[in-house]
Amino acid sequence: MKIIVAIKQVPDRDAQFRIDGAGKWIEEADLQFALNESDAYALEEALQLKEKHGGEVIVLSAGPERIGQTIREALAKGADRAINIACDDLRARDALGVARLLAAAVKQESPDLLLTGLQSEDLGLGQTGVILAELLDLPHASLILHVEKTEAGLTVKRELEEGWYQSIEMPLPAVLTIQSGGNKLRYATLMGIKRAKTKEVRQLTAAELGVDATPVVVLDRVSLPQKQKSTQILPGSPKEAAAALVEKLKFEVRVL
Amino acid sequence: MLLSLPTLASPQHFSLVEKIVFAGMMVASGYLFWRRFGVVLNKILKSKKDPNFHLFPIGKRVWDFFWEVLCQAKVIRERPLPGLAHALVFWAFLAFALVTLNHCATGLGVGFLSPDGLVGRWYFYFAAAFALACAVGILGLFVRRFLVRPRWLGEKLSWESGFIAFLIFALMATYLASFFVADADMAARILWWAHSLALLTFLPLIPHTKHLHLVLSPATIFLSRGSYAQIPPLSGDEDFGLVAGTDLTQLVSLQAYSCVECGRCTEHCPAANTGKLLNPKEIILGVRAYLNDLGPASDQPLLGKYNAQEAVFQCTTCGACEFQCPVGIEHVPILVGLRRGAVNTGAWEDDYGSKLFLALERGSNALGISPAERDKFIQKQALPIFDGTQEYCLWLGCMGGYDPKGREIVADFARVMNYLGTSYGVLRKEKCTGDPVRRLGNDLVFQQLAEANLETLAQNKVKKIVSICPHCVRTIQEDWKEYGTPPEIEHHSEFLARYADKLPHQSKDETIVFHDPCYLGRYRNVYEQPRAVAGLAGTVVEAPRNHERSFCCGAGGGLAFLGEETGERVSHNRAAELVATGASTVGTACPFCNTMFRDALAAGGEAPPQLLDIAQLAARGLPIASPIKDQAN
Repeated sequence: MKIIVAIKQVPDRDAQFRIDGAGKWIEEADLQFALNESDAYALEEALQLKEKHGGEVIVLSAGPERIGQTIREALAKGADRAINIACDDLRARDALGVARLLAAAVKQESPDLLLTGLQSEDLGLGQTGVILAELLDLPHASLILHVEKTEAGLTVKRELEEGWYQSIEMPLPAVLTIQSGGNKLRYATLMGIKRAKTKEVRQLTAAELGVDATPVVVLDRVSLPQKQKSTQILPGSPKEAAAALVEKLKFEVRVL
Repeated sequence: MLLSLPTLASPQHFSLVEKIVFAGMMVASGYLFWRRFGVVLNKILKSKKDPNFHLFPIGKRVWDFFWEVLCQAKVIRERPLPGLAHALVFWAFLAFALVTLNHCATGLGVGFLSPDGLVGRWYFYFAAAFALACAVGILGLFVRRFLVRPRWLGEKLSWESGFIAFLIFALMATYLASFFVADADMAARILWWAHSLALLTFLPLIPHTKHLHLVLSPATIFLSRGSYAQIPPLSGDEDFGLVAGTDLTQLVSLQAYSCVECGRCTEHCPAANTGKLLNPKEIILGVRAYLNDLGPASDQPLLGKYNAQEAVFQCTTCGACEFQCPVGIEHVPILVGLRRGAVNTGAWEDDYGSKLFLALERGSNALGISPAERDKFIQKQALPIFDGTQEYCLWLGCMGGYDPKGREIVADFARVMNYLGTSYGVLRKEKCTGDPVRRLGNDLVFQQLAEANLETLAQNKVKKIVSICPHCVRTIQEDWKEYGTPPEIEHHSEFLARYADKLPHQSKDETIVFHDPCYLGRYRNVYEQPRAVAGLAGTVVEAPRNHERSFCCGAGGGLAFLGEETGERVSHNRAAELVATGASTVGTACPFCNTMFRDALAAGGEAPPQLLDIAQLAARGLPIASPIKDQAN
């Protein structure tokens, strides 16, 4: 199976964000960047499919030069090769514009399966994958936690609200947007990084792909969220309070 | 005839046939020795060269050889009675070298030590004294092995050891007996032949048994890496640690063949003592079995049949094994090397381990908490920010920056520094030093963390660091060297001990049992400073296992992050020992020990002793003062 995983590089979530002078984006100068979380899960799903069924995993990205680091990490975790669309004006493009770029590159490869994260950690639009499917005229499913290959195509597990899941059968080729948490991520290894050095990274440009940058949606301004702190005292005996706490950690905070 | 001349040296009437028979036996014995020893030597020499081995400076090697081999100092110090018995046997062997050489020469009719000459006569009596001591020593060791039977020698009785003890005893007894017979007697001749037979049987047994250490361990001690628990750098693009036989270096192979199976490592191992799979002696013997079966050119994995991955990841890297080893085996680099092999190639799969690695691939601390929490703590405690003008950079570490108890220690240490008027500051940003990933064998993440931190320290022009965490201190000072030049660093116990006379002395009523952290004691050789600081707050008492014999808390080697242990918890074992001293306070000097004991003491029952870091003990005596009153900025 030939699988393309579209990935995005986003500001590290541990960073302290400041709004830039124009009020339209965050100050990027001192930021560290990392692989978007749900893209990491998309990559993991692709690697597991490859381990089971063979084939090839190609990572596809668009972004400025710094994205090279993230591409190398993806190659280190086990992707076979990479395609990067050099693009310094990524932020000037809207989801449609980015999807057009990616779609143009995907067409050259005609993969069996195209995976991407559900949404990016920075903009959180959750649209790129879905638009990609439309542009490529492929069936798609979103919020996917697990993918199983069948004779006819795929069976995918989709996350619904309140702990409900949906199982869908669909044909290949297809586009899936992957939800975080479906798999356990693998850690990067020294051997992976060394092997990644010899893997192919094909460089494309927006001009080569013939995609223009004019957006239909323009970001007006960004602002930091107002933080609110609220403390809740759980009543009852220590035993009852502990039980209530576990309940909350499980279902409200979802850390257990 | 009593104590006339040692006739052993001069059988007068050897026939040619006897000489030929003796020569034939010598050749056969030598051949049988070499047939095995040659193979062993070849496996060692064919192993990979140690990438960072330097013979110089040689002074320490010579000293170690003199002290540990010739004087048997370590053997005696760590196990006085059997150690002394062993030393008597060893010294007798040295004294006997000349006697044995002469014995063989005599058998061929060319003996050179004459019992009639002054030198010869003196030497035979000199050797006799050693023979007597050796016979006593070997008897003692025999009694210990076969009657006392300490459990770390293993369940099985080693008949081979018994036979060799018998041979050594026979060598000494025949030598001594020959002083009591006339040289023309048949008895003298029988003794001579019995001595020869014992000698020539012993020789080929050496390379076939653990007595190989007779030949190898002097070299092992002389050639060891030289510094305790040192993790060697990886060399080149294809070195991922100890993955297969081709990764075993000459030092590792030499050490594997040197093991004398005494079990000191196992006796002191926190994992082996709490019912875990790990047994450091078996790890070394596993490597030896691998070499015997497959050799150093094999690409079969080292973990699997010969050593279990599970065992290797149960090591706390407390280093008690390596500290105790009398033949110079360096267990920590071998265990960490095996982990490196598993982690650097992705062969180790562990949910907790992956979580830790992922947290440190992206985040800044091993606890996986947002760095904003560290900023809040710094603000709340009003800790000054390091700006290049202060004397010390106070390194918080993951525990000091994020763990509630670690923060208390930092806060109290800061109070003491304020009281002393020390100028210090904390960094705005800090990443984990990489200690847990380093010991778990993840060289990729360790390198990223070391390099990022070294850059931050250089940007901030940090010259001197002080830290409350022995793991941070060790990692910054020793492990970061692979990637740059770390600033000077000291542990807060060293800092506090230096100013002990400027700090208030409290009542001596309280008894404080001090627990030596592995990474402060064995790793850094700092034992008295934390005791001096604890002594400000009360009377220091000792647990049965103290100083270099201190028993690990169970947190080291990244194990603090790996979830529940199998068997008894190491921390519970140690905590029970500390409680049994009856001390009212347990004094620690490491935030990891502290967190382990916090849980263990709470689980131990009613009214456990209180648990305080030495910084907290020192701060307790301070007048209640406003924070940062002495800070210049």
